[in-house]
Amino acid sequence: MASKKIWKKILFYLGIALICFFMATPVYILFRISFSIPEEVLTQHPKFLITNFTFKHWDQVLKSGNLWPPLRKSLLVATFTMLSSLVIAVPACYAISRLNKRLKYIIVLSLFFTRMFPNVGIALPISVVFLKWNLLDTHLGLVLAHLIEQLPFICWILVSTFETIPFDLEEAAMIDGAGRLQTLASVILPVAAPGIAVSAMLTWLNSWNEFTYALYLSLSTRTLPLQIYYYVSRGGFFQQAAYSTILAVPVLILTLVLQRFIRGEYLKGAVKG
Amino acid sequence: MMRKWKKGLAVALCLLMIMGALAGCGSQRPASTTGTGGAGSSLLKVSMSLGEEEWAVMREDIFPAFEKQNNVKIEAVQIESGDMAAKLESMKKAGKMEIDLIAQDNMQLANLVDKGLVEDLSEYRDMIPKEIIPSLVPVGEFDGKLYFMPFRPNVEINFYNEKKFQQYGLKPPTTWDELLQVAKTFKEKEGVGRILLKGTLDGNTTVQLFEFIRQAGGDPLVLNDEGSIKAFTFLKELYPYLSPDSSKSDWNFINQYLANESGYYGANWPFAVNVIVKDAGKTEMKSHEGFSGPVKKSKVLGGDVLGIPVGAPNKEMAIKFIEYLLSKEVQETLVSKLGWPSSRSDANGKVEDWQKPYFDAVSKALESAEPRPNVTYWADVDKALNEAYKAITIDGKEVKETLDKYHSILEEAKKK
Amino acid sequence: MKRFLKKYYLEFAFILPLTLYILGFTILPISKTIWMSFQDPTTGRWGLSVYRELFRRPDFVRSIFHTVVVTLIELTIQMTLGLLIAMALKQDFKGKGLARSLVLLPMGVPTLVAGVALIYIFGTQGYLNELLFQLGFIKTPVYWTSGGIKSLFTIAFADSWKVMPMVVLLFLAGLESIPSEIYEAGSIDGATKLQSFRHITLPLLKPTVTMVILLRAVDVFRIFELPLILVGRATPFLATFAYDEYRAYNNLHASAAASTVLLICIILFMYLYFRYVDKGGAFGNGK
Repeated sequence: MASKKIWKKILFYLGIALICFFMATPVYILFRISFSIPEEVLTQHPKFLITNFTFKHWDQVLKSGNLWPPLRKSLLVATFTMLSSLVIAVPACYAISRLNKRLKYIIVLSLFFTRMFPNVGIALPISVVFLKWNLLDTHLGLVLAHLIEQLPFICWILVSTFETIPFDLEEAAMIDGAGRLQTLASVILPVAAPGIAVSAMLTWLNSWNEFTYALYLSLSTRTLPLQIYYYVSRGGFFQQAAYSTILAVPVLILTLVLQRFIRGEYLKGAVKG
Repeated sequence: MMRKWKKGLAVALCLLMIMGALAGCGSQRPASTTGTGGAGSSLLKVSMSLGEEEWAVMREDIFPAFEKQNNVKIEAVQIESGDMAAKLESMKKAGKMEIDLIAQDNMQLANLVDKGLVEDLSEYRDMIPKEIIPSLVPVGEFDGKLYFMPFRPNVEINFYNEKKFQQYGLKPPTTWDELLQVAKTFKEKEGVGRILLKGTLDGNTTVQLFEFIRQAGGDPLVLNDEGSIKAFTFLKELYPYLSPDSSKSDWNFINQYLANESGYYGANWPFAVNVIVKDAGKTEMKSHEGFSGPVKKSKVLGGDVLGIPVGAPNKEMAIKFIEYLLSKEVQETLVSKLGWPSSRSDANGKVEDWQKPYFDAVSKALESAEPRPNVTYWADVDKALNEAYKAITIDGKEVKETLDKYHSILEEAKKK
Repeated sequence: MKRFLKKYYLEFAFILPLTLYILGFTILPISKTIWMSFQDPTTGRWGLSVYRELFRRPDFVRSIFHTVVVTLIELTIQMTLGLLIAMALKQDFKGKGLARSLVLLPMGVPTLVAGVALIYIFGTQGYLNELLFQLGFIKTPVYWTSGGIKSLFTIAFADSWKVMPMVVLLFLAGLESIPSEIYEAGSIDGATKLQSFRHITLPLLKPTVTMVILLRAVDVFRIFELPLILVGRATPFLATFAYDEYRAYNNLHASAAASTVLLICIILFMYLYFRYVDKGGAFGNGK
């Protein structure tokens, strides 16, 4: 009986180890290639372990002058997308969360439906319109486009966040004579802060990673993902690994640091209705 | 009550400010890639699609002399050839043309002419020096009008892995039969195909299909003549012996496959030398000018041409710059610094030693290079060729029948 | 009316920007695209000519097939693996923190970067082939990305890797919402682990399953970046097909039609799901 238990335990840990291995390998490979010398990678039998470190590719990428403009654009666009989506979504979601259930359900569902149309299909007319408005290749244009995708997403999280805040709390404040906006600012927002923070972070991440709209709306100034795509399609074997790592590092750090705040509940609540 | 409204207003104002700030960021110009020019000098904006090293040569060896001569500052931006039409169109619609001169891939011209985005340069035809190789000029002609000036010719060369070829006692193929033989040998010895054709079913594949069809004496625009049938029959026979990575080989990925020895033989544009030999250190990758078909040798003439966007603010300077780029000294610099084949017959730059064999292969391949026809229904041609290739090789459809079908599609497109 | 406005002005002011934005930047473009797909590009007449032209192209039909198949494969992988990992992570064990971090890792990897990393792994001379070779399973390299059913599995695997954290998190939340008393009651009644999984976990997890399936299905149908990088045109998907029509051929109407077909596919999937799988389940009744 005891040995059976031990076997079970070993099997369990083996399973966990296997899962971890699967999840971590691609990231490891990426780091590995960005530091390797050509002979180790460009053969019919690439090596798994790093035996020879070289910083050449990183050096090239950092010195090429092609890193900073895209990095800057990516940072600006992601940050402003986050800010503007908060400005638009926080009040709206608060209001939605206080509607009656049926109406709320319809709104949340229709937000979900807007995500059913492929991005390429939305990006197409958007790029035509932006062409007319002279918004192609601008930061503003890209922020506007990113909002299309991020608003429904952030609303999902925020509606369920506000929902969990009992109405009594508000009423108590109102009875004390606070106005509605004041109540919102001093009572609701602090309680909702963790949910808002998570949604803000996820929005920032999504915008930082976004590719489709950037592809349709950028011509000569690129975001970092686009820059990688152009390297991928230009054959910079090592540079693409180095760029990819640069793109991934801030996100990885952010996710790992904030991971205990990332929870399924935030996404879930909205659907439970 | 008033206070609430004020707050609402404040929120709205915040939003406006953010938008304003964004607009401010958005309108910033793409960073200039050239050095600073003197005060009061005029500005020439040039767009090219180049690699890192090529930009360095432009900035250090080509631009400064012109800037000094004409008291002008050159601002250069990178716009991919595929994006050019959209970019120019957006500037034109906004009534703000910001580019004076473009160097454009000669495979992507029809779109620009169709949409009326480039100036008719017919009146400057005499400006083309008589030493320019004559076959380069028609590339820029549409309906008898000259829209683009020659800049640099280009042609694909065929790379082969010398070590692997020697290992099996093979030589780089010079005819179709030898190509098939080599392909069969590799497949037999290693169990996988090692010959790469560009099979991404887009413009890359089109170039190769053009070469095969013309090598058999066919006309790709007819598509069901004897030569075309011969070419597709051969490709169908060759296909099982190709490296399956062919389906992902475009002008970029093929470098990777050649470098990591997934394939031992494949054609690509000469810039690949820098990627495969210089960066990846694969000195065993050699090149030759390619094989000939049953009728003749034929390669597709690629390269860049120069054009002036409609509404360019500094058109005169752009014309001067074209003249400068076509001059003997500039063309010689391009040969010796970059290993670009020259568009002048009299420019003899000295190529670096390691680059010499590859440069020679390019020069030889150029001798049999033919431009693609400038037709307005190019997109249909491109699609028809690729779909025919896919149907015949991958789906194993009957050659003649398939080609007849796509011939009629082309005929229809011609009438439009 | 005035009183109504007075009472709800704040709600209106709050919801208005969002509504306007969604209308102007999402609903309007979507309708424009759908509209455009019904217009003939040369004659300008309304009708189905663009669709007729599209369905004549073998590549397009194939792209529909690919999209549907990859969705089914992915949903299967993600449902089983995601639930398995979530249940493992619900246990207490040494090194749980580390395991959780590693499982969440792909979340921090942009899809595009995931694509680049997976090129190295699934490439012909890539690490997967090398691993199989070293282990003695294969002699000659396997071509994972050169078309056919293998490519679909490669894409499905790649995308599953990328979205696994999301799926696991959702399942974890679902599992945690099941009160532990029910399990206790079950074990008192003598239920084995398998039985309690079958009769307690699964039924109570049904709303979560439905939600994960819907969320994932919508995203997988629209899959774009990974096929673009990993398999290229040899294995077209609806979204990449639409992109190609626009970028490579400047054929806006065909691109719009392809997008519309994709939308129809998604709606059809939802309909079938609710009709035959989740008959009026948690998601459908709007409680």
